[in-house]
Amino acid sequence: MTTVHEVLEVGSSDMHIAEGFLPWQHAAAWTAAAAPFVAHGIRSLTHAVRADPDAKLLIGASGAFCFVLSALKIPSVTGSCSHPTGAGLGAVLFRPPVMAVLGTITLLFQALLLAHGGLTTLGANAFSMAVVGPWTAYGAYRLVRSATASAGEQTSLGLAVFCAASLGSLATYTTTSVQLALAFPDPASGFLGSFATFAGIFSLTQIPLAVIEGLITVVLVRMLVRVTPDQLRRLGVLRRPAAAAPTASTEATEEKAG
Amino acid sequence: MLAIDAAAYRSPWRRLHPTVKGVFFGGLLVCALALPTWPAAPLVAAVALAAAFGPARVSPAAFLRAAWGPLLFVLTGSLALLVSVGGPQQIVALDPAGPARAAEVTGRAAAAICCQLLFAFTTPLADLLPRLTRIGLPAVLVEVVALIYRMLFVTLDSARRIHAGQAGRLGYANRRAWTRSAGSLGAALFVRSYDRARRMQRGLECRGYTGELTVLVEELSLRPAAVLAAAAPPLLVAAAAVNYQLGAGL
Repeated sequence: MTTVHEVLEVGSSDMHIAEGFLPWQHAAAWTAAAAPFVAHGIRSLTHAVRADPDAKLLIGASGAFCFVLSALKIPSVTGSCSHPTGAGLGAVLFRPPVMAVLGTITLLFQALLLAHGGLTTLGANAFSMAVVGPWTAYGAYRLVRSATASAGEQTSLGLAVFCAASLGSLATYTTTSVQLALAFPDPASGFLGSFATFAGIFSLTQIPLAVIEGLITVVLVRMLVRVTPDQLRRLGVLRRPAAAAPTASTEATEEKAG
Repeated sequence: MLAIDAAAYRSPWRRLHPTVKGVFFGGLLVCALALPTWPAAPLVAAVALAAAFGPARVSPAAFLRAAWGPLLFVLTGSLALLVSVGGPQQIVALDPAGPARAAEVTGRAAAAICCQLLFAFTTPLADLLPRLTRIGLPAVLVEVVALIYRMLFVTLDSARRIHAGQAGRLGYANRRAWTRSAGSLGAALFVRSYDRARRMQRGLECRGYTGELTVLVEELSLRPAAVLAAAAPPLLVAAAAVNYQLGAGL
């Protein structure tokens, strides 16, 4: 029971908005904002399971993977540890609609099993971590993939995954700052002043964390390319069958990843 | 197992129907959020903690260990409410109304965190998840949620073992090694989870799997009297808070 703490930082200060921190009107509004995305995700999940009943166990495995990934410890500049959001990797591997569902389920488990985040703030947290984060990451991924289409598969994939993971992470934290600033506007300068305060407090740790998360995700995806290229091709991450073969461009990604 | 879930399995309130606990802690949570923070928040916290440390026998040490994470978030977040940015005189100034605002948010959030955590501390997820279809969630979703819950512990255990192996090989000795180890841990977990899901699929098919994962859910009786008894404390807290407010207004 206690050994879980070696791997997972249970109870560290993270960016999940705690239960009761938002006024109830804001909590309700963010739940309404996240609901269409999650509903869309549930519909695509239902279609996937109906079309292929075997997909259910793989979706379950993906969900458990997302939960454990988002609870891993990663080093932070302040000497303490923090967690990756996992939004970038999830969006690239499972696509944003499915990630909206898996992300929300992860947040529910984090609220009930780890006391990270709340139940009434589940909608607000889902909006930042399961909707904005994955969609930003996926947008960045597609953009970089098409911009670097002429480069080698390894370079293109490495760059795209790095951008997806770090921008997804940054977008998540920016959204949380916006949510807090909207709930607690500054008495003198309103929303903008309050946003600057919240973003200022959190950016100290979150910008380096976004870079670290990007690097970790590149390492992770490069290893997956080496070990299970077929799986990645099935998920639509790798495009060419010859992609797994190491090429001269490997070194370029390696330098960036190091 | 995770500490909160383990405590929930040991709780004397485990045999109570989740609806009863939902009405009790959910009602208190609504009181904390919807009623004026003073006096609702301290009343809610007092009632919830008295019930938890009294009849529900929640361990105070375990509760504090779980609660300090969200409380830390609340305190850091409240710090931002103490200052005002971009005022006419100074760029950053102490806001005279800040301490009252910060105290209000901290009080409300602390009371709400108590309710949420104590519900989690008395209700195992395995009891709660199969009943989620009753509140109108799609059956496929509930099944996937339950499946994720069951796979969670094996995946956590894999992560722990891989981490121990990496740490034993100085995989977390410096930041660079840490980044590489964390990436490889994630990749290994992904490969293992998928492999395990596929093997489980094969095993289930050999046992006549048709796409339905039926599990036995322990029957817990839901008595109307218990629900009414659970609804009484939140209603009393609400009445007391409204009464206080009216008294203060006169």
